[in-house]
Amino acid sequence: MAKDDDGGRAFDGRYAVVAEGLQKSFGQLRVLKDLSVSIPRGTTYCLLGPNGSGKTTLIRAIVGLIRLDGGRMQVLGQPVGQVGRLYPRIGYMTQHRALYPDLTLQENMEFFAGLYGVMGQRRADRISDLLEMVELTEHRDRLAGDLSGGMYQRLSLACTLIHEPELLLLDEPTVGIDPLLRQAFWEYFDGLAAGGVTIIITTHLMDEAERCQVVGFMRGGSMLAESSPEALKRLAGLFTTLRLWTGDLEGDRARLESRGYEVRVGAGPALEVVLQSHDQIKAVLDQVQPLDVRLVEPSLDQAFLKLAEVR
Amino acid sequence: MRPPSFSGQKVGELLESRYNPRRIRAVALRVVRQLKRDPRTIGLITFAPIFLMVLFGYALSGEMSGIHLGVVDHGGQDGLRSSLQGEKDFDLLYLGSQSDAQKLISDGRLQGAVVMDGGAVRLLLDASSPQVSDRIQAAVIQGLRPREATAGQVDVRYVYGYDLEMMDSVGPAVLGLVVFFFTFITTTISFLRERTQGTLEKFMVSPLSRTEMVSGYLLGFSLFTVIQSATTMLVVVFGFGVPMNGSPLTAFAIILLLGAGALVLGALFSNFASSEFQVVQFIPIVILPQVVLSGVWWPLQSIPSFIRPISYLLPLTYSSDALRMVMLKGATLSQVLVPDLLFLGGFFLVMFAAATAMLRREVG
Ligand SMILES: Nc1ncnc2c1ncn2[C@@H]1O[C@H](COP(=O)(O)OP(=O)(O)OP(=O)(O)O)[C@@H](O)[C@H]1O
Ligand SMILES: [Mg+2]
Repeated sequence: MAKDDDGGRAFDGRYAVVAEGLQKSFGQLRVLKDLSVSIPRGTTYCLLGPNGSGKTTLIRAIVGLIRLDGGRMQVLGQPVGQVGRLYPRIGYMTQHRALYPDLTLQENMEFFAGLYGVMGQRRADRISDLLEMVELTEHRDRLAGDLSGGMYQRLSLACTLIHEPELLLLDEPTVGIDPLLRQAFWEYFDGLAAGGVTIIITTHLMDEAERCQVVGFMRGGSMLAESSPEALKRLAGLFTTLRLWTGDLEGDRARLESRGYEVRVGAGPALEVVLQSHDQIKAVLDQVQPLDVRLVEPSLDQAFLKLAEVR
Repeated sequence: MRPPSFSGQKVGELLESRYNPRRIRAVALRVVRQLKRDPRTIGLITFAPIFLMVLFGYALSGEMSGIHLGVVDHGGQDGLRSSLQGEKDFDLLYLGSQSDAQKLISDGRLQGAVVMDGGAVRLLLDASSPQVSDRIQAAVIQGLRPREATAGQVDVRYVYGYDLEMMDSVGPAVLGLVVFFFTFITTTISFLRERTQGTLEKFMVSPLSRTEMVSGYLLGFSLFTVIQSATTMLVVVFGFGVPMNGSPLTAFAIILLLGAGALVLGALFSNFASSEFQVVQFIPIVILPQVVLSGVWWPLQSIPSFIRPISYLLPLTYSSDALRMVMLKGATLSQVLVPDLLFLGGFFLVMFAAATAMLRREVG
């Protein structure tokens, strides 16, 4: 059983979700291993990790769908045992399908609105706004079961948002959604976060993770590291580099090193200059006359691989 | 620490949070919308009972020529027994006691009964059908003839029953059976689908309580139960001339209560199935015993006494009795309250509690 008491330093009101030492096994399989997580209110928090690393399990634990074997957790300031009281304030979009295929889009939305007591004019407004947002307005009278995969996913998101929850848990919400609409979704999410909504999201897309304020790397049921995307890359020892192809490899290297830059010779062969910030680009180019230049940004997956190696 | 206060408002809030009519209505509306969009199920709900009734009606009309004779055998009359067994147009029903026989005759389900008790033979006959009574009496005398000496010992008593056709007695009970069967199957599958299509998981993370969910289903399905029992009742009464001596509303009330029990039983059983294929396997487990043991076809009194306790646990036993009482004897609601409605109500409440407890929040 998870303990409900607080008193740990992190257990205060700044966090939408804070947990320590979570344990969960399904039979012999340990799915959450001593997992700790802290998600500040009003942030977009991305759970990143390979298949089976326990992302969905963590989300289901947060919303009280599974009974933890150990650890403690608070959600919106409530001990996890009391999370039922918070359901009117939580929106949970499941990874797998969870709508009525034999109801129309409109009827699906009306049903979920009804569950959350969204009625009358407010219901009508919410439904048309959200259908507009997910670009399904002209399909509102079609059966949900007849929608394409991406459209279904969009409807599912709209149903999750119907009651304006302040804590959103979105388990792979953008799977199968085209790039243009994905972009629009993320702008919408940013707007929600700016308005104080906490968004916990899982994805396998690095560009989406990059957009989040905080990323939690999960592996094998525990939290490898959690921080902003930039900080995670630094933590993994990855920096932005400027790759220079020059005629005088050694000479240019010596010149740059004498100015305090960290320089390596990489594939190409080319010089790789580690940048602390993008402001340094011009200064570096003042020192050398390269034949060709490329800015190389480290990716989050590289950071993940590095951190997974180290820990 | 201050003791918790239970002001009216607090209690109201608590009720509101656990039992909110709006949420129940949302579920009910959804259930109705889904069923409306499923013509095959609607067809099944309305026409299958009619089809079944017609089938039963014809199958049973052939049997009406037979004479239903109860036999209470306490030994000592082997000759008479085997002679009665040899009568082709007699349907013998072996009963445990004379009072069982008496009740069945007065209910119109037997036309007579022979009680063999050592040397004595008692004959109970239905006073309302003299031809059949004569026929039975003749057969009994015939059976006793080889032992002339005892022929005088036949003690004949008349019981006031009434002339009842097989369909009259089976019709009201089948009405209950049909509603029970279809409600159970459709709700088991509906609840199973909530789980397999993932919507249950979404419910669990919403303010909807389990009580509200089951209540919403009850409300939504009751509409279809009313339609179904109305069509079936029309076929039974107008198609087969089964009397409706009591109030049809009373009959509806009994059927609705039975249907509610079937619904919550379905909700409970859905937890034990992981596919629709497995739901089909419940039919022999849940439905068949009721068909066989609840006195739909043959009287409860003829069921061997060591299995009869099971009969008394089956809701259909009580609905069959209550519906017969209302339709044939014109009983009022208060006359079928004990034990029939009381049992059906109790069954519903117990299964409701079990079903909501089983729909756990912790799915994993
Ligand atoms: N109810 C359950 N019973 C048994 N095992 C489970 C259950 N739920 C999850 N698991 C197991 O727990 C592990 C973690 O699953 P989880 O769904 O949390 O992974 P995930 O990180 O969400 O993966 P994905 O990226 O594929 O969605 C898996 O090995 C899975 O098989
Ligand atoms: Mg997952």
